[in-house]
Amino acid sequence: MSKPTRASGKAEVNRRNFLARGAAAGVGVVAIAGTGAHEATAQNGNGSIKWDYAADVVVIGAGVAGLPAAITARDNGASVIIVDENFDIGGRGILSGGRVQVGGGHALQQKLGIKDTPDMLFNDWVRFDHSESRYADRDLIRVFADENVPTYDFLIENGVEFIEKPIRSPDASTVDRIFVTKEWHIPSQVYAPRRGRNGSGLVRRMEESARKKGVQIFLKHKMTSIVREKHNAGRVLGIVTIAGSNPVNIQARKGVIIATGGHTGNVNFRRIFDPRLTEEYQQACSPYVHQGADGELAAMDIGASLWSTANQTVDEAAQITKTRHIGCRWGYSSLVYEPDSPMFQQARATGLTVRDWQNMIFVNQNGKRFWDETDGSHGFFHAAMAYSGDKTKLNGGGPIWAIFDADAVTREKWKPEPPHVDRDGYFFSADTIPELAASIKNPYQKAPISGAALQETVNRYNGFVAAGADADFKKPTPLYKIEKPPFYAAWTTPILHDTLTGIRTNTDSQVIDIRGEVIPGLYCAGESQGGFAQHGLTRCIVFGRIAGRHAARRQIAETSGAR
Amino acid sequence: MTEESGGALVHLTVSEPLPLEVPAGDARAIMARASCPDGRDRTGMAIAVTAPDGRTATHVFALHADGVSETAAITLAAPPHLGVHVFRFTLSPHEIAGTHYAQAVLDVPVCVTPQATSLAVWDVPSPVVAGTRFVIKAGAKSTAGVALAGGAIEVCTETGDIAGRGVLSDAPLQDTGALYWTDIQLKAPRTEGMVTWSARFEASELNLPHDGANTSFSVAVVRPPEHVLSVRVIEQATAEPIPDVELRLGAYRGTTGASGLAEIALPKGRYELRLWKVGFEAPPRPVEIGADAFVEIEALVVPEEDPDARWRM
Repeated sequence: MSKPTRASGKAEVNRRNFLARGAAAGVGVVAIAGTGAHEATAQNGNGSIKWDYAADVVVIGAGVAGLPAAITARDNGASVIIVDENFDIGGRGILSGGRVQVGGGHALQQKLGIKDTPDMLFNDWVRFDHSESRYADRDLIRVFADENVPTYDFLIENGVEFIEKPIRSPDASTVDRIFVTKEWHIPSQVYAPRRGRNGSGLVRRMEESARKKGVQIFLKHKMTSIVREKHNAGRVLGIVTIAGSNPVNIQARKGVIIATGGHTGNVNFRRIFDPRLTEEYQQACSPYVHQGADGELAAMDIGASLWSTANQTVDEAAQITKTRHIGCRWGYSSLVYEPDSPMFQQARATGLTVRDWQNMIFVNQNGKRFWDETDGSHGFFHAAMAYSGDKTKLNGGGPIWAIFDADAVTREKWKPEPPHVDRDGYFFSADTIPELAASIKNPYQKAPISGAALQETVNRYNGFVAAGADADFKKPTPLYKIEKPPFYAAWTTPILHDTLTGIRTNTDSQVIDIRGEVIPGLYCAGESQGGFAQHGLTRCIVFGRIAGRHAARRQIAETSGAR
Repeated sequence: MTEESGGALVHLTVSEPLPLEVPAGDARAIMARASCPDGRDRTGMAIAVTAPDGRTATHVFALHADGVSETAAITLAAPPHLGVHVFRFTLSPHEIAGTHYAQAVLDVPVCVTPQATSLAVWDVPSPVVAGTRFVIKAGAKSTAGVALAGGAIEVCTETGDIAGRGVLSDAPLQDTGALYWTDIQLKAPRTEGMVTWSARFEASELNLPHDGANTSFSVAVVRPPEHVLSVRVIEQATAEPIPDVELRLGAYRGTTGASGLAEIALPKGRYELRLWKVGFEAPPRPVEIGADAFVEIEALVVPEEDPDARWRM
């Protein structure tokens, strides 16, 4: 088992020498790789690259896809370096609920008497009548189905522990396949402790195993590009990262695995799929991670294709969600950063957790209601993102504000003050509705809300409450007037979650270019991988394993002339 | 900018578009800027600002960039009178590196506007039986935080008749900054139906100029109740009573107690009985009231929206 190496000096070989030496040796790239990675160079548009580190497999992203990719590559004899731009591992997985959709008839299913097979799993995830399976790449699903049981075994072998009780799922599965990992036992390493962030147990156990097995994890190394022999041709040689202000170049002798977690936090990129998703829409798991589409962009820079893009805009999945915690910037339904979380200083507030949506109305950036507040369907999201009449903002609907009164605060048992609310742009209070409108100042609220407009909205709604029927949006049984001072406005703009499309791969997780050809040495897994719209963790783990395995074994394949 | 004879020109400007619009009694911060064709640095020099009342203060140029010298923020306090008031900015004649610069003067007009007031109306009972008396609460707030104690809020009917009047309290409502409030006694119309009445606050008596405020509120006016509808809500699977269920029959409402029972007084007629409680569901049920009646509703438990709403344990 080879280990990662660090360059003893930055010996520079230009591209001409590089190719000449390979040709002289008669074995091309493999011979150069075998001489010591630090001596290899490559062109990256701006001339030669000097490698600071080298490993057989370099994984970009230490999350739910990257960690199993690294472990599996290491299990198959490769030296492995993982880079992650964050200060700690885990990606979004560390903040997830830890629900792993793993089935096919594994040992825990058998123990619980759940009948399942890989074929049953395949048939579920190619259903035409479910949005999460309709647009799937069935080649990927076939492999996914066949790899589920080995993936469960892999998790158990690497220390992951499951609660032995399945969760019933409304996804495409027809049998119980969601099993929850146990939360990590050190609260400060969970980042949102005591809030069911059981995904921490998944990634921390894999991190523990990866480190024991000799995987090197370089934190605060942000990948900025993937190095390929030629811009759109040849094999992938490594990556360029930035650590602080220092460039650090890492050679990958066998493969680079993109496991960067998706594109939700990249406004420009997400608008490829839905132009309405402008800057006001925040994303779940921020500010711990931001899903910046780094992997997608770097791969596309060297020719990679997107795949199965229909998945991103199916109107039933969790790519966009209703906030549950209002009055803070990031109020994703299952995620609360408590004041003792290491992330609280950035998150700034826990939010006010809504028990009953009857206690408020939602208004858009013009102070107008737009939908039944008790609804959380995609109809609600479409209405929230509708053109509001603002000629300066044709795309996106602008901020959405929850408006409520002192009686609502009493009913919900809220304390509308820090640390529960973020008064720096995401929560406001005032003695009257017109003053409340005037108080709303937020980076995404481009023009002030008219006090008269908001007053008219509230008065009209109060009339519906008195009459017992919502004549505008059919809110069922509108119960409570908004009338008792003081009044409140809380940020409740829908928040983005899943990345459901990404880079095209084959069933070995090898990245495919825009002409349908494999990019040798480049792999992708997790939310950056296209073709599969399953919400959650398992597709990341399965294809991470596949990528790690194939990359580690690739040297043998290449010498035999295969990919 | 003006300049007097006998020297090179200095151009004076301010950081905000003119005229400034400032509510009476409020202040606005602006920066003064001085420049000349040869881009001289005037940091350390002072500019005099003469307020409409004749008082003069000086402010020093603190920054110089791109040929423009700029002061720190200068606070202009708007006089408590409506109209246009002029603040005069004067840079005295001075000499820099052998060049003599003439006095420069800039008049900054400040358009003083009224402060705003706004209203809140609450504790409006609904429904109200036709022809009966009821009480609402109403409060007024000045954007300047001026004490509005002693002012009056009037309620007018849809035809403009004054339905009631209240004098604002001496102290603001608890938990508010400066919302002065009052009870207002009202009498419901004699015919049933939804009415929308207006509340208004006249601000003409205040020392600081203010605009008045208007708002509206709705009242469901109903016939006197004749019968009692008893509603019991139980859980479908267990038959256990469900407390705190909100019941509505149009404008009529009730809430179940610990025994799952609510009693709602209402006149004869046909209604649609709806219920609401988070975590429970039951379809609306038509109810016809011709005498006292009892209805039992079985509600289905639906899991409360949990943090991971896409999955149910």
